[in-house]
Amino acid sequence: MMRLGAQFLIAVLLSGAALAQTRTADGKPDLQGIWQARNTAAGDLEDHGASQGIPAGRRVIVDPPDGKIPYQPWAAAKRKENYNHRAIADPLGKCFLAGVPRITYLPFPFQIFQTPQFIAIAYEYDHATRTIALNGSKHLEDIDFWMGDSRGHWEGNTLVVEVADLNEQTWLDLAGDFHSDSMKLVERYTRTGPDTLQYEVTIEDPKVFTRPWKISMPLYRHTEKDFQIYEYECHDYLEEARKGAPK
Amino acid sequence: MTRSACALVLFLTSGVAFGQAPATPAKAGPFKRLPDGKPDLQGIWAAGTFSPADDVEDHPVDRFQIRAGKSIIIDPPGGKIPYQQWALDKKKDLFEHHMYEDPEAHCTLSGVPRQMYAPFGFQIFQPAGYVVIFFEAFHAFRIIPLNGGPHPPESIKMFEGDSRGRWEGDTLVVDVTNQNDKTWFDMAGNFHSDQIHVVERLTPVDADTINYQATITDPKVYTRPWTIGFAINRNKRPGYELMEFACVEGEQDLQHYTAGEGAKK
Repeated sequence: MMRLGAQFLIAVLLSGAALAQTRTADGKPDLQGIWQARNTAAGDLEDHGASQGIPAGRRVIVDPPDGKIPYQPWAAAKRKENYNHRAIADPLGKCFLAGVPRITYLPFPFQIFQTPQFIAIAYEYDHATRTIALNGSKHLEDIDFWMGDSRGHWEGNTLVVEVADLNEQTWLDLAGDFHSDSMKLVERYTRTGPDTLQYEVTIEDPKVFTRPWKISMPLYRHTEKDFQIYEYECHDYLEEARKGAPK
Repeated sequence: MTRSACALVLFLTSGVAFGQAPATPAKAGPFKRLPDGKPDLQGIWAAGTFSPADDVEDHPVDRFQIRAGKSIIIDPPGGKIPYQQWALDKKKDLFEHHMYEDPEAHCTLSGVPRQMYAPFGFQIFQPAGYVVIFFEAFHAFRIIPLNGGPHPPESIKMFEGDSRGRWEGDTLVVDVTNQNDKTWFDMAGNFHSDQIHVVERLTPVDADTINYQATITDPKVYTRPWTIGFAINRNKRPGYELMEFACVEGEQDLQHYTAGEGAKK
């Protein structure tokens, strides 16, 4: 009876829509699983028509309300130039690390692992990894990384990750949207159901944008039988393709 | 790129455990356990010797001024890879004429077991149902499920292969299949085919030491299975974290692999 009562209580507690989630052994929201975006943000964060390899799609920018990235005038010009040369200028075309947040919405799955001390994310694309310490440690100084330096903490049911120390070499999408090495991100991961995770990022970069702006999108859990993370060793395929190309 | 340059320096100056005999089972000391009673292997670790990254067999100082080192092969007893004759010929050819083809020089993943003795170390996580290893070198990772699920179909080949683990007492046994034939064991051209099958055994001997053994089977290339062994040591520096290893993003090592180019610099 006691056991049934406890189960009933747990069922009641979990029945709230936002609480319909399992928890890890240490009582934190369980974000573990294999996730993937199901949108066209990797092509362009703003509203966009179709182009080579990119389906048309709606913006994932939720702030500012017009859904446009608030570029400073010089940066808007540079973005246009990036767009025009995107076929060769996109760092992803050279198989470089994708950076954050772009790695999240590439059309490749990634797996989130949790321990009480760390969130560890393994991305299939380019076998990128992120290790997010939850111990309150500070960002490193005077150093930058392709994938930045991520430190996380829990705010209620949301994992909040602050990302700093990003270099200026990554893009935000294939449309040439870019940032400087002053970019700082605040990512928020909230489990919204058994198979959904809301991903929200506030992007701040006083060198490039006139104000902070925000993207938001659901991530979907892979539920296929035997689904797993494989390997995408990008530049090996690039080398193979070059060998096969006419001289 | 800077890390790759560091790698070479490390190869030249490491030798922490240089000259040590391969790990032998030590007397078991106390180590932490997880709530489920399994050994807690979490933390940052590195092989006690990076010498096998140069050559897994006994090797003298070679043309790149890499330090001499001892074989980590504990079986067969002679410490040599039991190559079939054609494969031994190929290995010699790779060593003498094709070192620039070392996959690591092209910034590709190291494969298993080479990843385990690559410099810079790795971090082990033990979330429920998995052992996960993130390596600094090449930002490689290994996801090792403990649920007994099957390996993927043989046609799916990967540099790091597919790992499945299980506990045998306090030993983590990892079965590795699905590796491609593109990785080497070291910079000396020791190689395998896509039929390679690796069984690793990680046994904690105390809080800061793991005894690592890997048995390698590949009927296309070797006359018999062979086994390597070495100690993996915990990195106890407070606050130590793995850094980012960006290789292809600034790759310039390849030119250093040819003596002529290297000499010009």
